[in-house]
Amino acid sequence: MDAKKIIILSALVVVSLILAVVFFRSGGEEKIKHYLDESFQEKDNLSEESLPTRSITLYFLSEDDNYLHPEKREIVDHPSIVHQAIQSIEELLKGSQNGLLPPLPVDTELREFFITKRGIAYVDFSSEIREEHLSGTSAEMGTVFAVVNTLTYNFKDINKVFILIDGSEKETLAGHIDLSRPLVPRYDLVAN
Amino acid sequence: MSSDAGSIPAASIIAIGTKALSKSRKRNLIAALFIFFLAILVFSQSLTSLKISIRDYEQYGRVVIESAAPLSYHIEQYTSLFLVRFRAEGNFTIHRESFKSKYVKSLGWAKGSDYYMLTINATGPDYSFESFTLTNPHRIVIDIHLPEQSKEDLPPPEKPKRTPQPRTEEAESQIESKESPDRQQDEVEEPSAPSMPPLASQALRTIVIDPGHGGLEVGSKGKFGTLEKNLTLPISQKLKAIIERNLAYRVVLTRDKDVDVSLENRAAIANNNRAMLFISVHVNGFPRSSARGSETFFLSLNATDEESRRLAYMENNSSDIESKISSEDEDDIMMILWDMAQSAFIKQSSELAENIQQELNSLLGTRNRGIKQAPFKVLTGVACPAILVEVAFISNPAEERKLQTEEFQENVARAIYRGITNFLRNYSTE
Repeated sequence: MDAKKIIILSALVVVSLILAVVFFRSGGEEKIKHYLDESFQEKDNLSEESLPTRSITLYFLSEDDNYLHPEKREIVDHPSIVHQAIQSIEELLKGSQNGLLPPLPVDTELREFFITKRGIAYVDFSSEIREEHLSGTSAEMGTVFAVVNTLTYNFKDINKVFILIDGSEKETLAGHIDLSRPLVPRYDLVAN
Repeated sequence: MSSDAGSIPAASIIAIGTKALSKSRKRNLIAALFIFFLAILVFSQSLTSLKISIRDYEQYGRVVIESAAPLSYHIEQYTSLFLVRFRAEGNFTIHRESFKSKYVKSLGWAKGSDYYMLTINATGPDYSFESFTLTNPHRIVIDIHLPEQSKEDLPPPEKPKRTPQPRTEEAESQIESKESPDRQQDEVEEPSAPSMPPLASQALRTIVIDPGHGGLEVGSKGKFGTLEKNLTLPISQKLKAIIERNLAYRVVLTRDKDVDVSLENRAAIANNNRAMLFISVHVNGFPRSSARGSETFFLSLNATDEESRRLAYMENNSSDIESKISSEDEDDIMMILWDMAQSAFIKQSSELAENIQQELNSLLGTRNRGIKQAPFKVLTGVACPAILVEVAFISNPAEERKLQTEEFQENVARAIYRGITNFLRNYSTE
């Protein structure tokens, strides 16, 4: 009886291993890792005041030279990078404390955020980012690279940023800048 | 049962399993086998095998792509290049028979983000193609014909041929083809002498001018209600007139009225006309009215493009194809980059931008914002030197007023024209 059990058990183990292999293989490399996992949810319930803070750099637009200017901000030094990155974008959406211009239309909201294993951050904004955008190359460059630079500068796990609007991929932001592929940061657009 | 459970991890599921098994071992073994085969089935479905063969017939070269399941595909043609895209999940393996054809020079195989692409490089430009599907086994058949040899090679200069879309064909994968593979060729009998591509000097060179936006896509808006699309068109038309007056070039506008034209089609118009230069005319916008001046852009290359190139270059799925890559892999690389065609012209584009910006500075009296790079969708697929001019800011009331005047528009056109001529003086192709 025991020997039988062992045989059957090992058969089950083999089958489940095969299933696991199949599952992971068919998922492909680019399977998006959704970091909003249980550990993140749990920790979120902990009081955030107990966690230390860290300093990050946000990028806002300047009226004078139309370049991006850095502005420091403190965020909760959460163990989850996704959590920190979301805080950074939320801070960017709140606007500058030094009178710099908001790079995104003020009603824009962050809908979703995730990071792939290859270091591509997917940032999904509400449709206001497009509908309330006044369009124009310089305006669009400001919006796009305020987001891309903020994410890549502060988080070494992120090296490219894919901007989605209302959950889907768009050809351009508002007629000019290409959003159909992930973008790398442009520090030449930052004032020195 | 409970005594066993203590010694075995992952207790609960397995425990339930064992309990059931001890009742009827046979039934459960069958269940396990069933799961096993199901797993194999799932696994095998993520791998699609394609067999590609090429054969020459009297009138055409035939490319046959054979697969186990029907595939949905889409063909685009750029002069001598045919891109066959397959929308696909999972992995493909590809097997190619070696071939020698007077119609097809080389084949390439590329992987995009959510598609695979077979690239067929024909032995000359302007070949035509027909495609259809066959079943049992599933095949996609693409017949490549030589171009009709005639005077039609030279389009009449008055009426430039405008083909806003690359030729496409969608497969109705389920529908059986009405045509048999060996159907009669009752087309005009053409002496199938080896075709010579028309000499470049015989054809009038083309400059494509792209008035930004149009139709519902209005672009940026000014304080007085001026729309970007309504400024880019008259400037482009003036530029066309000046070029045609002074240079022996054919000028094609991507739109000549207030209509929507997709960004992809704008690039396709340039490529289908074998444009020598591509000039996109835009008017800038910024959230505050203080921003002012003119600037000229060319495409910025992402590090990402490096990655896609690497990805594209035949992930060594098949040793079969690898062994057959000959000295012609240069062509394969060129093909694979096609949706980033502009990347091959970045240097010339930056020179063109520089020439144009210089003239804008000296003729317009606007603030010089210099030349810059940006990821413009409209430029990525253009296969010639290409730039995008931001003439002035519509969001600046003073510049908005200026932009509306005939005089200023004329000056912009003249400045761009001068920039083009300076560039052409130093730039020789072929």
